[in-house]
This record gives sequence, C-alpha cells and structure tokens, in this order.
Amino acid sequence: MSQDLYREQLLDHYHNPDNYGVLENPDVDIEADNPTCGDQIHLTARLDVEGKISEVMFEGQGCVVSMAASSMFTGEVIGKTPDEIASMGLADIQEMMGGVKLSMGRVKCALLSLNAMKQGLQDAGKM
Amino acid sequence: MPLDVPAIRAQFPIFKRQINGNRLVFLDSAASSQKPQPVIDAMVQIWSNSYANVHRGLYSLAEEATEAYEGARVKVANFINAADPAEIINVRNATEGINLLAYTWGDQNVQAGDRIVVTELEHHANLVPWQQLAKRKGAELAYIPVTDDGLLDMEALPQLLEDGRTKIVACSVMSNVLGTVPPVTKVAEMAHDAGAIVLMDAAQAVPHRLVDVQALGADFLVFSGHKMCGPGVGVLWGRRHLLEAMPPFLFGGDMILRVKRQESKWNELPHKFEAGTPPIAEVVGLGAAVDFLTEIGMDVIHEHEQEIVAYALERLSELPTLRILGPGPTLRGGVVSFWMADAHPHDIAAILNEDGVCVRAGHHCAQPLHDRFGIPASARASFYIYNDKDDVDALMSALHKVVRLLGRR
Repeated sequence: MSQDLYREQLLDHYHNPDNYGVLENPDVDIEADNPTCGDQIHLTARLDVEGKISEVMFEGQGCVVSMAASSMFTGEVIGKTPDEIASMGLADIQEMMGGVKLSMGRVKCALLSLNAMKQGLQDAGKM
Repeated sequence: MPLDVPAIRAQFPIFKRQINGNRLVFLDSAASSQKPQPVIDAMVQIWSNSYANVHRGLYSLAEEATEAYEGARVKVANFINAADPAEIINVRNATEGINLLAYTWGDQNVQAGDRIVVTELEHHANLVPWQQLAKRKGAELAYIPVTDDGLLDMEALPQLLEDGRTKIVACSVMSNVLGTVPPVTKVAEMAHDAGAIVLMDAAQAVPHRLVDVQALGADFLVFSGHKMCGPGVGVLWGRRHLLEAMPPFLFGGDMILRVKRQESKWNELPHKFEAGTPPIAEVVGLGAAVDFLTEIGMDVIHEHEQEIVAYALERLSELPTLRILGPGPTLRGGVVSFWMADAHPHDIAAILNEDGVCVRAGHHCAQPLHDRFGIPASARASFYIYNDKDDVDALMSALHKVVRLLGRR
C-alpha cells in the first residue's frame, strides 16, 4: 500500500537527504533521468585504492521514491566493489528502503540511482 | 436542465467499487472514460446474439452484424455532422487516425521545403507523426507558440502561412493538459486562405461538447471512442474528395475491389481505409456511446463541465503552493493540470489514491508543452458527466493531506 511509501523514514530522507551535493574530481560523474516522470539526478562518486566506493553524493529533483532511494543509496553503497554493485537489483533496493512495496509505476523511480551508478561505473571504465 | 449526476453515476457499474475503503472519485476521464451499462450491453448483445464477420456474409448473423456495424457509422457521422457516413473511417484510436493521414496524405502532399504547422500544446499523437513526416521529407515543422496563460499565440500564425509553403495545420480542438480551447475555426479560416488544409485533433472535444465538422471548418478530424464512454476504437473523419485522392494506408482484405496477381484496385470509401476484419463490437459500442451522450445532450454535458471546472479552479486556488497551468474557466474545458512546489506529481497521485481519488501524473503525452512551462511533469484532474462538485471537494481534502505530508518542514 502506498501509505507505506509515505512513512516517516522515507519522508525524512526526502525532506533532508543524506550526501546531497556534488563531489569535486569524482571518478564517477553521471546525470540520469526518468523521462516518464521527470525525476533527475546528478550522481558523483569516488573509489578508494582498492577500487571500492568510498564517497557518493547526489543532487536532483523528483518524487519521494526516487529522492529517498537516492539518499539511502549513497550510504548503502559505501565499501562496495563495482562487481557487487553490478549484482544489485530491485530486491536490494526494496530491502534498503525497509521492505517497501513498490507498484510497477514506481520501480523506475526507486532504481534511478542504482542504474545511474552502474552506468557511471561503466562510463568510467570501472565495471 | 442541469445534469442529474446521481442518475448518471448509477448507470456506470464501476462506481459500485470502492478504492481503499473510499468511494471512487474518478478524475482521469481525459485519459480514458468509464463505461456505462448501455455501452457494455450493446457489445455483449452483438457478441451474444448477432456476431459474425461483417460485409461478406450472406446469412442472417452476418447481415445483422453488418447492419449494426454500418449503423454505428451512420450514428457517428450524424454526431459530428459529417456530410456522408462514407467519410467516417474506423481506426484503432485518434493516434492511428493521425498516423494514417501522415503516411497517406502526408507522403503524397508534403515535399522537401514545405512546412507543417502544429501548436505547442499538442498531444504527442498530433506531433510525433508530423515531426517524423517532416524528417522523411525534409520539410519544416513549425509551432504556433503558447502564451504564459496557456492560450495559442494567434499573432504568430500569419507569418507561418504567408509564404504559402505551409501544407497542413494540425491543431488540437482542446488541450489535454491546459484545457485550452483554441480558436480552431479561425485557425482553419487562415490556413485555408493560405492554401493549407487543417487537421483537428478532437480527442478531448468530441466527448465533451458539440463538435460539428462543418461549422469548425475542418478538413480532417480525429477522436477516440474510449474517451467518450465507448470502447477502444477511434475515428478519422475527412472530406470525401481528400479521402478519395489519398492512397490506402493498410493493405489486405476488405479494402480491395479486385486483386490480380500483380495489381489491385481499391475499394470505395470508407472500406479503402479499413483493411482486415474491423473491431466490430467496439464500433457497435461506440454507436451506443453516441446514443448515450446524445440522449443526455452535448450542450448539457458542456455546461455541467464548465460549472465543475470553474468550481475546481476556485477551490484549487485555496492552496498557496499550488500552481494551475492554463487559462481561466471561460477559455478551457473540463481539465485542470497543476503543479505543487513541494510535491512531485507522482506523489500527489499516489497520496490521492489513498482517498479513492484518481488523477493522472506525468507529462500527459505533452513533453514540449511541459518544457514550455519549465516543469517536468504535472498532476491533472479531468471531469466528465459522472463528476460533481463533491468530487472536487474530495480532491481538495486529499490535496490538503499532500501538503501535510510533503510540504516543506
């Protein structure tokens, strides 16, 4: 049920997102959008010497699902390798969001930051 | 006589349903309308009692089916005041009607260096087919701009017509986003004076007001049955001499008069444009929808919607963070799109759904128009015969909930 979508935890991330902004000299730098709903994000990330994600920031505009998911995602992926990120999917994002049930129309919103990160790592030759 | 909304609602079985424990407040008829029992019955009736393929059969069932199918064509022709039922072409939807035109009339008549004129408020259906035709032909696609208050900037039209390069003007009779009702009769007059023909996209008009193709001065006009209480079928109307000069769009059975091994001769109108088995029950259902709306009265429907949209505009202005797109109530039909500073349209629609209020969220197949207003998406409430002021009140109380949940903290 959508009531689930608008519970406090997700609204907190929506109103006060974590890691909001743009990293300077990032390894990953990508803009992604969800043309059907108009969600847009700019995702930047740095990798440490072992090739694991060490810092992530995002900026953007969109619905509660895309913004809250992006905010949570910037914490979730710290320490992960590109291979680990490549194997992440919808189930991981739903779990990250506290087991929220997403209707078909909202799946793309929830996956926006994960898909952007995958594409950004590929573009940067890290994946 | 005002519309008896409770009596109308009683004829739509879907209003027996509840959504999340609330009564259904359906404010998305601009996307597709609900279906009344007489339309459902007409389709069940032909499937249950009189079904066979049309036109060729020599037995009772085939004759009955053909009579029902062709009878619906006559009803539709009368409904929009077409000169002749043969000018009514049954297609899948308004979109297919426009594609048919772009591929037949367009390929035949638009050449490199010609101009196609559309407006900034078009639905993608009346935009992308012309954009792609322009690309195929090396023609120019030009837009009549929309003003800040959502009206067509008619002052821009003369310069798009004066050099005589414009072959067609494709214009909506009512915007599906802004609700704007452009002065299409004036557009047609000016286009004709410049030697161009006019296609009117009446998908948002035919369900809601009297549309008379003669009075409007259209050359072609399209609309969809599913937005006017009918099933998924569409209509392309065109003037006979234009339709006769056009090549067929789809080829196959029923659209031919004679087929030789290397040559074929085309059937007469309207069959030339109806290749293959048509959507028989759907067309019959559209005929029933025409009867249903005619009985209520298109003027009564129009007046009712004008009243609701005026009330909606008044109530929506109570919310300080809400911005309404488009003009005031006298210049628009029963559609209101809006945008809230702190809430994404998808969140608005999802939160409204908890109260049983159905609105659309997104760009409503009008991305260039949203770009024009500098917003990625909007939420849209649209009204029809089964809506009343109580639906606007339900919308408002749900919107207050959106403000409570998502308003800046």
